[in-house]
Amino acid sequence: MSVATKSATADSTSNLALDGMLDEEGQYSGPSVRCVLFELDDEVYGINVKKIREVLRVGHIRQVQGADPTVLGVINVRGVIVSVIDTRMTYGLNTKQPDDLSRIIIVELDEDNIVGMLVDSVMEVKDIPEKQFEPMSSTKENASRYLQGIAHYQGDVIILIDVDSMFAGAVE
Amino acid sequence: MDEEILQDFLVEATELIEGLDEQLTELESSPDDSDLLNAVFRGFHTIKGGAGFLGIKPLVELCHRAENVFDKIRNGQLEYDHHASDVIMRAFDEISDFITQLNDGVREFDDESNKTLIDELDRLRTGDTDDAAQEPAEDASGQGGSAESGAPKLELPEGVDPEGEITDDEFEALLAQRDQLAPQDGEDESGKKLQLPEGVDPEGEITDDEFEALLEQRDSIEGQGEAPKTEAPEPAPAPKPEKKPEPAPAKSAKPDKKPDDNKADAGKDKPHKAAAESTVRVDTRRLDEIMNLVGELVLVRNRLLTLRGSDDETAEELSGAVGNLDHVTTDLQASVMKTRMQPVKKVFGRFPRVVRDLSRKLGKAINLEMKGEDTDLDKNLVEALADPLVHLVRNSVDHGIEMPDEREAEGKSRDGTIILAAEQEGDHILLSITDDGKGMDPDKLRAKAVEKGVMDEVTANQLDDKSAFELIMAAGFSTADQVSDISGRGVGMDVVKNMITKLNGSIDIHSAAGEGTRISIRVPLTLAILPTLMVAFEDDSYAIPLTSVQEIFDYDGNQINKIDGQMMVRLREKSVPLLYLKDWLNPGCSKDDFSGDKVVIVSIGNQYAGLVVDQVNGQEEVVIKPLGVMMKHLEGYAGATITGNGNIALILDLPGVLKRFQF
Repeated sequence: MSVATKSATADSTSNLALDGMLDEEGQYSGPSVRCVLFELDDEVYGINVKKIREVLRVGHIRQVQGADPTVLGVINVRGVIVSVIDTRMTYGLNTKQPDDLSRIIIVELDEDNIVGMLVDSVMEVKDIPEKQFEPMSSTKENASRYLQGIAHYQGDVIILIDVDSMFAGAVE
Repeated sequence: MDEEILQDFLVEATELIEGLDEQLTELESSPDDSDLLNAVFRGFHTIKGGAGFLGIKPLVELCHRAENVFDKIRNGQLEYDHHASDVIMRAFDEISDFITQLNDGVREFDDESNKTLIDELDRLRTGDTDDAAQEPAEDASGQGGSAESGAPKLELPEGVDPEGEITDDEFEALLAQRDQLAPQDGEDESGKKLQLPEGVDPEGEITDDEFEALLEQRDSIEGQGEAPKTEAPEPAPAPKPEKKPEPAPAKSAKPDKKPDDNKADAGKDKPHKAAAESTVRVDTRRLDEIMNLVGELVLVRNRLLTLRGSDDETAEELSGAVGNLDHVTTDLQASVMKTRMQPVKKVFGRFPRVVRDLSRKLGKAINLEMKGEDTDLDKNLVEALADPLVHLVRNSVDHGIEMPDEREAEGKSRDGTIILAAEQEGDHILLSITDDGKGMDPDKLRAKAVEKGVMDEVTANQLDDKSAFELIMAAGFSTADQVSDISGRGVGMDVVKNMITKLNGSIDIHSAAGEGTRISIRVPLTLAILPTLMVAFEDDSYAIPLTSVQEIFDYDGNQINKIDGQMMVRLREKSVPLLYLKDWLNPGCSKDDFSGDKVVIVSIGNQYAGLVVDQVNGQEEVVIKPLGVMMKHLEGYAGATITGNGNIALILDLPGVLKRFQF
């Protein structure tokens, strides 16, 4: 039972352990979504763990002139050049210099395409019962882009990100 | 339709089609070559076999007809003349169309789509011979599987569902059965059949063991000197005509045919089978993967090389080990690269046909000579070169070679010659297309350039002849007054030039009025590893493809003038525009003292430009990696690479850079 360690090949130094946080397991019956939770501007977001290859600390990001403004640049992930996007900017938040807590979440879009998302901090991995999710209300058009739903769970409001739609245009 | 078999079939068929393309054209010049005829016959037959198993009926029909025609031809009952070759070529085109469509995922075909072509093939086959009436009827019935008596038939091992899955081995075996049958005399037919061992579920899949057993059975039946009777959804086409007792011509042809068949079996099939054992088909994706990993290894090696010598104590030992690693890596890189190499024949193979079709259409007589077809080239390059070469060859046929009468009046032979050559030149491949046609007139080109508004008269007249020839590669320049459907399909010489430039190659044109034109293309051996010049701007490094770099010198303010708003550097007799990378890479930067900077003179096609950079850090061989998601088609970059010290360097794509500067 190790969906979270799907890519255990990551550098141990730069990879947060995704295991060991599954203490809630068994407590709920019914289907649940296992999510990596992270913070952006003090709000909690989640991405389905199946889409995540690894989480890295922020090193040097090589800028690429002329690229889309949301693209911070590229990093070298064991020989593969990976674009890093500023997730804050994607959601219309103010940009912020990366600090010690900042992380890059490496997301698998498909077999050939991976992308890095810079986030303020990565919190934990949690199983969230599916029934907790409410579909997005369509009132706030812009903000609901790339969002799959919202869950109220254990005192948190968790916004589930739909990475596929987020990068729909970027994958060939 | 079973996808796995289908894919196997497609791979095989695609190769056969390529072979047939060449063979058919070759056949035009030597229509009596029995080896060739047999090869063509077998080609159609094998495709038919595969198509039959997959149930692609219209394809079977076509191949079957084509095969029958060739059977007659190789038996001397039919002449492979112009008419025959035209019909066959059309059939061939149709067949290769089928394969292309299958490759594209089309799975349903209209049974009736090729009716006229099939009729024509039938007419061609029957010709004026007396037995014309009987044969078509027979073919029609034979197709359905209700084969006539007397003929030996192929049979699927019992219990193998003709609609179901079949393994490669089974397929091979059926082919083998067919080959065995061919020389046998059908009349002494025995009732023996291959039997499935007891207890084998006829509906189930056959195991290798069971299949082996069947093969043994078959062998032992043959051992008794009797022809095995086997049945198949398709009749064995080869022996059919000779088995028929009625028509006299068929019978008389029998003695001729047998040796042919035997020879063909001995001469072609066996070496082919032997070769099959020593080669393995590998998915190119897997090769790309290996190539990628080797690239990684090269980078690690580079990194070690830069680290070497930084520590005094272990320096010597380490240095030795790194030296070894260096050797091994270099060899490994070369070997892996070789696995991706394909002979340039792959591209050249299509040209006899292209030239034949075109010259016939235009009423020209042209001999195509090909040299150095075995020169190896990276697979990706082979594919990338196909279109530009086709264009150039078409140009030679259309514009280069004159009409026969015209040639005669000029005192040339009526037949024009086009020579297509490839040779290796160091780490480059030189491809050339030479024709002995009318050549190009530089004055005419200059006039045309002025007329088309490509440049003004003064500039045009200053061009030397060589530069004038290069005008044909300028955008918006076409010397053909009328756009024919041969050239001028929108793929102009400028597109050819761009394609070659993209491959880090160059084009060179030589021409002499009345004597002909020679176009030479130089491309690197491989696309995967790129020799570059590493430069730095502020803290970031960039790689410039070394093939474009002409020279490097110190920035000297005294040599630089502003002409018409553009900074130019005087380089010997020429003025070369300067591109300040800072303007592009860091527009906000207010640096205006460039002393100590370097100017890298690059050439893109026939254009020169000087890039002003902070530092030049020497040469490095780099592995091109795509920029990540959202940046794959970013203009100005060819990709990125990881340098010896583990940093990322962006590889500049010079045509894109120039475009960015709107230059």
